[in-house]
Amino acid sequence: MAILPCGVHSTTYSQDKAFIRTRAQWACLIGFLVLLFALPLFIGTRMLSILIVMAITVVAVVGLQITVGLTGQINLGQSAFMGMGAFTAASLSANFHLPFWLAIPAGGLGGALLGAIFGIPALRVKGFYLALTTIAAQILFPLLIMRLPSGWFGGANGMGLSPAKIGGFVFQTEKSLYYLIMGTTVIMIAFAFNLTRSRVGRALMAVRDNDIVSEIMGINLFTYKTLSFGIGSLFAGVAGGLWAYYIRYVMVDQFNLWFSVWYLGMIIVGGVGSIFGAILGTVFLRSLQELITIAGPLLTELFPQMGGGAVWFSGMNIILGAVIILFLIFEPRGLAHRWNVIKHSFRIWPYPYF
Amino acid sequence: MTDFFQYLINGVLVGLLYAMIALGFIVIYRAGRILNLAQGEVVVFGGFIVWTFIAGASLSLWIALPLSLLSVLVIGFLVERGIFRPMIGQSIFANVMITVGLMVLMRGVMLVIWGADAQSFPAIFSLKAIEIGPLSFTRSLFIGGIIALGVFAAIHWVFEKTRWGLRLTTVAEDHVVAQSMGISVKRSIAIAWAIGFVLSTLAAVTFLSGQSINFLVSEIGLRALPVALLAGLESIWGAALAGIIIGVGEAMAAAYLDEYTMGAMSEAFPFVIMLIILLVRPQGLFGWKIIERI
Repeated sequence: MAILPCGVHSTTYSQDKAFIRTRAQWACLIGFLVLLFALPLFIGTRMLSILIVMAITVVAVVGLQITVGLTGQINLGQSAFMGMGAFTAASLSANFHLPFWLAIPAGGLGGALLGAIFGIPALRVKGFYLALTTIAAQILFPLLIMRLPSGWFGGANGMGLSPAKIGGFVFQTEKSLYYLIMGTTVIMIAFAFNLTRSRVGRALMAVRDNDIVSEIMGINLFTYKTLSFGIGSLFAGVAGGLWAYYIRYVMVDQFNLWFSVWYLGMIIVGGVGSIFGAILGTVFLRSLQELITIAGPLLTELFPQMGGGAVWFSGMNIILGAVIILFLIFEPRGLAHRWNVIKHSFRIWPYPYF
Repeated sequence: MTDFFQYLINGVLVGLLYAMIALGFIVIYRAGRILNLAQGEVVVFGGFIVWTFIAGASLSLWIALPLSLLSVLVIGFLVERGIFRPMIGQSIFANVMITVGLMVLMRGVMLVIWGADAQSFPAIFSLKAIEIGPLSFTRSLFIGGIIALGVFAAIHWVFEKTRWGLRLTTVAEDHVVAQSMGISVKRSIAIAWAIGFVLSTLAAVTFLSGQSINFLVSEIGLRALPVALLAGLESIWGAALAGIIIGVGEAMAAAYLDEYTMGAMSEAFPFVIMLIILLVRPQGLFGWKIIERI
C-alpha cells in the first residue's frame, strides 16, 4: 500500500491513477529531465558513452520487465530479440536506405515479431518450460542470421551501416547520439509507465497473478500473452535499433545468451514487477560493470601477483552471479522495494510505521 | 550403406553421452523440481577438478578419479545447502533465476581459478580407433557409451530397487507424501544434488578424455537440455532413448542436410525438437506428470 504525500487525496479515478500528484514531484521530474539533457555540456566523451550504453540497456530491460515482471512470463531471449531489432534496422538502412526515424521503429517491429512468435508457446506451457523456449530462440537466432544470404543481414561477418541523418545533420558525435538515444529512452520509459496503468497493463498483471482467473474474467490469454511478448520485444527491438546506430556495426556476437542473463539480473536487482526497478537495476549493475572495467587495471597494478586484468574482468561474472543469488535469497523485491521503504519512512516520519 | 551405419552408430554413441549429461539434470529435477540450467557449468567444473588432480597434481587416474568424485560430492552438498535450501517454497521464476545465477557464478569462478585458455584434458582411453569390419569408431566414444549404459543401469537399480533410492523416488513423486512417510525431503534434495554433481563429473571424464577443456565447453549443457526435455525430466531410461534419438538425428542432419544449410541443421536440430516437444507434448515422452496447460 502506497502512502501518499501529506494532504493529497484522490477524489476522482483519474487522480488515483496519476503518477505525479504534487507540484514538488513535477518540479523534481522536470529538474531531472533538464539535468539529463544538460549533462553533455559538463561531462567528457567517456562518461557520455557509458551513459549512452546505459540508456540503450534501460530500454531493453524495461521491455523485459513488461514481459517478465508485469506478465510473469520468463524470457531468456531478450538479447536475441534486441539483435533482431538491430539487424532489421541495419538491413533496412543499408539495403533500402531508409532514414533512421523509420529504421529504428521498424527494428522495434522486427524484434516484436520474433518475440511474439517465440511467445506463442507461452499459451501451452509456463514456468521454466517457457524459459526453455526462449533459450531456444536465443540459440537459434545466431544460426538463422549467419545462414541467411549475407545480402540480407550480413551473415557471419556482421553488417555496417551509415550514421543516422536528418536533413543536413549527421548524428556522428557522441553528443548528438546522446540526445537521439536519451530522447528515445525517455519516450520509451514514459510509454512503459503509462502502459502499467492502462487497461492492457492491468490485464497483463491479472495474467501474472492468476491466469485461470483472468481468463474467466474475460481476458483472452492468447492475445495478452502474445501481446506481452510483443511489447517486451518491441522495446528490445528499439534498443537494438539504437544500438545499431550507435555502434554502426552489428554482429551476432553482440547479442548472445549472456546479455539476456545480464538483463534478467538487472530486473532481479531492481525489483521484479516495477518499471522504476528496471531502471534502478540497470543503472546499478551497469555502473558496477563500468567500475570493474575501470578498477581492474588499477587493481592489477596494486596486486600483480593476482594475475592480469583478465582475472578482474572475469571476476565480473562472480559478482553478477553472487548479486543475483544474494538478491533472490535476501531481497527478492529488489532495490525498488528498498526505495519505497525509504520513501515511506520519510513520508510518515516521525512515526516508525503506520 | 557403410557410411549410413557409421553415422548411425556414431550418433548413438554421442547421444548416450548427451543422455549421461541429461541424467544429471533429471536426478536434480526429480528431487527438488528445480531445472538446473547451470548443468553445463557443473560438467565443466567437474572436468576441471579431475584435470587439476591429474595434470596439476600429477596423480594417477585411479587415485585422481575417486578424489575428484569425493570433492564434487562435497561441493554438490555445499551448493544445495548454501543456495538452493533457502529457495524451497519460492516461486518457479525465482528457482529458474537462481540456477541462472549459479551458472554465471560458476563460470566466473572457473575463469578466475583456471583461466580462459583451453587446457588439454588427459587422454584416459587410448585415442586409437576401434574397427569392426568396415566401421571404425573413436575408442573414447565407444567406451564412453558403454560407461553411460552402465551408469544408467546403476542409477535405475538404485532408484527402483534399493530402499535408499526408493526414498528419493518417493520424494520425486510427491514432497508432501514423502514427508508424511517420514522421509526427509530436504536431505533427499541435498543427496540428489550430490549425485547430480558426481554424474556430471563422470560424464565430463568420458566426454572430455583426450580433448581440450575450457569454460566454453559448458555449451554442452545447453545441448543436453533438449534430451532431458524429450525424455520427460523424470524418466531415467527415457533419457537414454531420448539421447539416442537426438544423437542420431543430429548425426544424420550433419551427414545429409548440412551441405544444404551450411552446417546449421545439425546445430539447430536438438532445439527444433525441443520447441516441437514443448508445443506438442510438454511432459516429454516418458514424463510422469501432465504439465499444467493454459
